[in-house]
Order: sequence, then structure tokens, then C-alpha cells
Amino acid sequence: MLYFSKGKTLFILFVVLIGFLLALPNGLNEKTRESLPGSLQRTVNLGLDLQGGAHMLLEVDLSSVVSQQLDNELEAIRSEFRSNGRIQTEYLRVEEGKVVGRFRKVEETAKGLEIVRGMSVAVDPTALGTDKTTKVSTSGEKNFTVEITDAYISAIEKRTIEQSIEVLRRRIDPTGTTEMTLVREGDDRILLQIPGAKNVADIKDRINKTANLSFNMVRAESNSEKAIQLAVQGKYPPGAIYYPQEQGGGLLVEKRTKITGECLKDSSNGIHPTGGYPIVNFTFNLKCAKIFGDLTSRNLGQRFAVVLDNEIITAPRINGAITGGSGFIEGSFTQQSAKELSLLLNAGALPAKLVIVEERTVSAELGNDSINAGKIASIIGLIGVALFMWLSYGLRFGTIANLALTINIMLIAAALSLLGATLTLPGIAGIILTIGMAVDANVLIFERIREETFNGRPPVNAIETGYRLSLAPILDANITTFIAAATLYLVGSGPIRGFAVTLAIGIVMSVFTAVVVARLMTATWLRRSRPKDLPI
Amino acid sequence: MKDISLIRLLPETTNVPFFGVRKIAGVLSILAIFASAFLFMTKGLNYGIDFTGGTVIEIDTGTDPQPDVIRETLSRLGYGGGTVQNIAPPLDSGVDHDYVRVGIPLQEETEESGANAQQEALKNVVEGLTESIGEFNIRNQDVVGSKVSGELRQKGIIAVLAALSLVLVYIWFRFEWQFGAGAVAALFHDVILTIGVFSLTQIEFNLSIIAAILTIVGYSLNDTVIVYDRIRENLRKYKAMPLPDLLNLSVNDTLSRTIMTSMTTLLALLALYVLGGDGLRGFSFAMIWGVAVGTYSSIFVASPLLMILKLKRGGKVEGSSGTEVTA
Repeated sequence: MLYFSKGKTLFILFVVLIGFLLALPNGLNEKTRESLPGSLQRTVNLGLDLQGGAHMLLEVDLSSVVSQQLDNELEAIRSEFRSNGRIQTEYLRVEEGKVVGRFRKVEETAKGLEIVRGMSVAVDPTALGTDKTTKVSTSGEKNFTVEITDAYISAIEKRTIEQSIEVLRRRIDPTGTTEMTLVREGDDRILLQIPGAKNVADIKDRINKTANLSFNMVRAESNSEKAIQLAVQGKYPPGAIYYPQEQGGGLLVEKRTKITGECLKDSSNGIHPTGGYPIVNFTFNLKCAKIFGDLTSRNLGQRFAVVLDNEIITAPRINGAITGGSGFIEGSFTQQSAKELSLLLNAGALPAKLVIVEERTVSAELGNDSINAGKIASIIGLIGVALFMWLSYGLRFGTIANLALTINIMLIAAALSLLGATLTLPGIAGIILTIGMAVDANVLIFERIREETFNGRPPVNAIETGYRLSLAPILDANITTFIAAATLYLVGSGPIRGFAVTLAIGIVMSVFTAVVVARLMTATWLRRSRPKDLPI
Repeated sequence: MKDISLIRLLPETTNVPFFGVRKIAGVLSILAIFASAFLFMTKGLNYGIDFTGGTVIEIDTGTDPQPDVIRETLSRLGYGGGTVQNIAPPLDSGVDHDYVRVGIPLQEETEESGANAQQEALKNVVEGLTESIGEFNIRNQDVVGSKVSGELRQKGIIAVLAALSLVLVYIWFRFEWQFGAGAVAALFHDVILTIGVFSLTQIEFNLSIIAAILTIVGYSLNDTVIVYDRIRENLRKYKAMPLPDLLNLSVNDTLSRTIMTSMTTLLALLALYVLGGDGLRGFSFAMIWGVAVGTYSSIFVASPLLMILKLKRGGKVEGSSGTEVTA
């Protein structure tokens, strides 16, 4: 147990040296650090609870997107039936997550089914997979059902999450300069982390707006007082919909429109050329510019409504055909709200509703307080434990244990830097706990050596036996704690994971330092001084 | 050269008759377990928002806070169940006034609002407070919706159960089943007593307490395993020694190690409790308690249980020799 070959000794020293180099940058200030070679600049990542910042978990309403898709399927089938030989159905509707229908005439069943089956296409035409978008089944001679396949649902969900992340990124960080994390988490959630975020309330406002924009023609003929009264109660004429106006009242507009947010090429805030009040400028893409040009030239003298998130911002009269594809929206904007709106329009609409299901925001100030408190507690804890070890095991063995403890902490810092792990507030607690628990392996060994010495063994033999007999209990004891830490990592979340990581690394490093590094120190000392009795 | 350690916590060999008091200890443990269960069922735990959902903000008003005004604002806004609590700033921060922590209970989530109901409440409270006490800095805001809190609750329970069963499997593979049963009984003892003390003190029970409980599981097991290892070793060594004596000897053999490690761990934890700041106080309290209880249980619960569980002696030559057999 006490013999180390040259190669082994060098290897152990090498590991400790590498650990020192990797841990070193954490102890330096930024300037000195930047002068180091790149591979040595890595430091421990600080969690949001230590550096300050916002952590949000957003839930995407995926079920509404899927049911929307089902509605789309229904509409598509209906219009195919209508245009392809006027196939008639007794009924055709969405029922329990499926489109169900019944043909009127048996002789049309074959053709109808052919149409419906023809509408089922590959989910991903570029991939080799054979997954189709829908599954058609029949019962009896006239009944049929169309289901959206699981493959298609997960494709829709994936797309929705990806789009949401993209839109969020543009909304929160239009200039692309903020450091932030936006990733899918679980099935229907997005994790958003913004280190150092200050105006969290503004960010949340931007997240919460869907920014659905559309230009709808106003129904001139049906906007009578009585029709409005009915509309407020939710009764619309066919093809129309009622939206409230920002400045009060409301209007019935055409439900269908081709001019939506997707038409926008660009938007910016500006000042009205003659009125001097804030406006939002917009430019359509080519296709929509043509559609809008046709629309306006056909409806001279009529009004169209600019609808944002189910509210009419403005409803101007068409005085001339707008063919250039650009224009401006005027409403009761302030400079700030015009800017916000143009930002939101540029970022695009969210494909589904988002809800903030969890938020944890810490100010940089509190984070700093936590770091300081953690530093002080670690140092005091370290000093206390070190003194205690010296008092209990004397200068020689106390120093060996304390050196091992110091190397242990250094190796934890090195491992955290190397793994790019995140140090959180509970993570600091894990390190401090490790300081207390890490000496355990050395305590076990020293106590055993004492015992063997007391039993009359000569020094070298006592130390040899002490190390040999302590190994099994040390491993058993540490593996069990490691299992607890691993469980915590697997089922824990956020900061708690940080604790599990530091605890687990601390356990591994403490076994290494006690069983390998401290043993090397003991062996070296024994070889050099050949003591007659043990100072323990 | 001879430098002897300055203090010896314990004499070279101890022979404390732990097993003489095992009945008293057993009664004490059973009483404590019942008391904990009783407290848990009557008083319950003071769950933090991790598990209940809701909102907590910590604010710095720039001067000593006016809890009454804040409380009044909360109830005026319709958040009567809210809590207001002064928080002392860190000792070395140079801040001469308290911060204040404001809790808003979980708001009902409709289909329409979802968890945004909590965000809405937060917004209302921040606006309302700005009106009543002026501008302030938010040091920290935690908002947890009902769905997430439910998940965290579930995850916490799963974590503790998973850890307990995994270590049980490990002990079972490494030792005879009696050891596994004894160790897990000791663990349940520690976990139940920790929950009991949190029910008694009504200190907030949150995610970091779950982390503490799992660490206590690890620590307590650590202690138990060390004693068990020694028991196993002594079982091979002293084949004829009566079991109670052998268990007592093993506990005594490992006693100085048990006490040393508990002391260093408690030292580190005490530093954390006093200096580690408000965020870690609950955690370090749980750990300090857990280390104390875990040390007690490995001596007074885990080892005596081996007798009750009728541990089988490995050697068939029982009683043949009383002399030491060196491994």
C-alpha cells in the first residue's frame, strides 16, 4: 500500500498539477486571466442565482395548435369535396380529436375516400420515413374518420416550439447582443434564461403578447346599431366577426383575410408626416403588396380594419389604391408603444399561447451578497476544520489531511471549470459540506492507524494496515453518498442539480485525495524519516 | 521528532456500554418517531412556494420597511393571505436597513389565464406597493404556478424514495439482508425525525430541504456503513464473542471516527448556518439536525437492530476459539 512506483508518483503529481492549473483562473482577476493561454481561461460558470438574472419556464399551448390543425384538415376536406365533383355528406365535423363524416350516397364513397386518402401526405417529404400526416379509416358503407397521426402531431409540436423560440429570441433580443438561453424543455416547455436581466417586467410584457396582426375589410352594410348589439352578445352574421376598437366601441369585419402578419417584410416606428404623432410604418412582401393593391383598388371608399390581437387599432377609409406595398398604422400610440409594436411585428406572431409557469429572478446585488456569504462561510469552515484536524492528529498527520483537503477543494474547482458545470447557491453549500465531510476518509485512515499502533504494530506496518483496512469502508461509505447525490441530480432541477454536482464531484475528489494523494504524502514522509514511533 | 496531537477527543480505547442503554434509546426513538408523525399530521409542514405555488418577492425599500403599510396594501389589493417578513441584510454588506419579503398566495388559475394568474398578481402587488411605499428595488422574485409546484412536489417525493431504494439495493448487495434492513430503518428514522423537526419549528420546507434530506440519507448511511463494516470485520475476527458484546465492541472501535467526522461536518455546517446568508439557512439547519440524528441512529438504531433481526454468524465454527484471527 505504501510503495509507489516512479511512474505512479509522477502521474499523481501530474493530475494535481493539472488540477491546479485548471483551478487557477478562478482565483485571478479578469485582467490577469486574459493574459493566460485560451485553454486556461475557463472558470466556473456562475448560476443565475449567483450572478443575477431571470429564469423563466414557459409553457406552450400545443393542444390548441393541434386542434387548430384538425380544424384545418376539416376545412380542407370540405373544400376538396366541394370542388371535386360536389361530393355530399350527411355530416362532416370534428369529434373527439378526429374528423368524422358520413357520405350521403353509397356510390360516392369510393371517390370520396380516394380524395381523403390523397390528402394524407408524407409528414416530412425530405426524410426517408414513411410517416403520413393523417390516417383514414372507414366503418359501414358510408362512414369515415380522419385522424392526425402521432408522427404528424409531434412534427407540428416540434415546429411550434421551434417557431416560438425563434419569435421569442427576436422579441427579447432584437439586436442579437444579449447573452441568453432559449431551449426546449420536456414536451411543451421552453426554458428562458437571461443572465443579468434588469427590466424583467418589460421582457415579460413582450413574451405575453401574441402580436397577431391582420387587415380585415369592414362590413359596411352590416354595421348597423342592431347588428353591433347582437355582435357584442356573440351573434355574428355568417363570415363576419366582431372586434372591439381600442378607442371604444367595435366593428363587424370580414372573418377571412389574406393580409396577415406574415405579409410583413419590415416595420418601424416613425412620426406622422403632417400630424407629428407617433406611427408604425410597415412594408409588405411582394405577394401581399399585390393582394393589398387589388383589395384597395376594388374597395375604394370602404374601410379596412387593422386588427392586432383581436382588437382594432385603427380602421381608415380607403381613399386610393395602395399599390406600393407600404404604409403606416396610426392609432393612439406613444413613441414607446409604437416602438414596441414595430418590434413585435418584426419578430412575428407566436404560433401558440405562452404562459410563464415558473419564474425565478435574482438581482445582481443579491447574487453578489450570496457569493460573499458563501466565500466567508467556506473560509471560516475551512479554517475551523483545519484547526480541528491539527489539534486532533498533530502537526504531521494534521498537515497531511489539511493539504489533502486543500487539494480536494482545488480539484473540485478544476472539475467544475473543466466540465463547464454551473455553480449555484446550493452548490456552494455542497462545497462547504464537502469541506466538512472530505476529511472523513483521512479520519478513518488515521483512526485505524492509531488503533493498529495501539495494538502494538510498528509504524510502517501500522500505516500499511491502516490504509489497507480502511479502503473498503471508505469506498462503501462514499458510494452510498454518491448514490444519493446522483439521485438528486437525476430528479432534481435547477439550483438543486448544482448542489448534486458539487457534492458528487466532492465525493470523488475526496476519495482520490485521501486514498491516493495523502497516501503518497504519508509514504514519502515514511521513506524519508523512518520514524520509530508515530506522532499520531 | 515527536509531535503529539494536542487533544484527544477520546481515550485510545473506549468501552462505552451502548448496548446497555439500547432499550432506553429504542423507546426514545420510537417516541420521537410517533411525535414526528403526530406533528406532521396535526401541524403539517410550512411548505415554501416550490411546493404550494404562489409568489415571493424580496424588496429593498432603501430604508427600514413598513410592514404594516405593506400588509394593508396587500389586503386592499385582495391578497389578504399574503405574508410580510423582515430580512436582515448580510453582516458585511454595510446596509443599515432591513429588506422585506412579501409572499402572495397562489392565485386560482382559470383555463384562460393559466399560470399567468400568478404573474398578474405579482404585477398588481408591485404596482400597488409602488403607490403606497414609493419606488423600491426587487432583489429577488420567485413565481411558481400550480402545475409546476405539483410537479416539484411529486419530484421531491420520488427523489427521496428513489434514493432510499437505491441505497437499500447497494447495502443488500454488499452485506447480508439484515444489514440492509437495519440501515434503511435507521434512514427512515432520520428522515422522519427531520420532517418532525421541520413540523415543530415551522421552518420553511422547500426544494433545498429535499436536497438536505437526501444528503442526510447519504451521510447517515455513510456512518452506518462504517459501523457495519467493522461489525463484519469483527464477526470474522472474534467468532465466539456473543453478539451484543461484538456489536458494542464495533461501535466503540469506530466511535472516535464517528465523532471526529461529525465534528468536522458540524463545524463546516455551523459556518454555513451563521455566515452563509439567508438563502442557505434552512438547508444548513436541516443538515445540522440530520448529522446529529444520523450519528445517533447509526449507534443506537442501526446496530441494535441487527440483534433484533437475528443476524446470522458467518462462521460455522462458532464457539471453537475465542482468540484473535488476523485477516
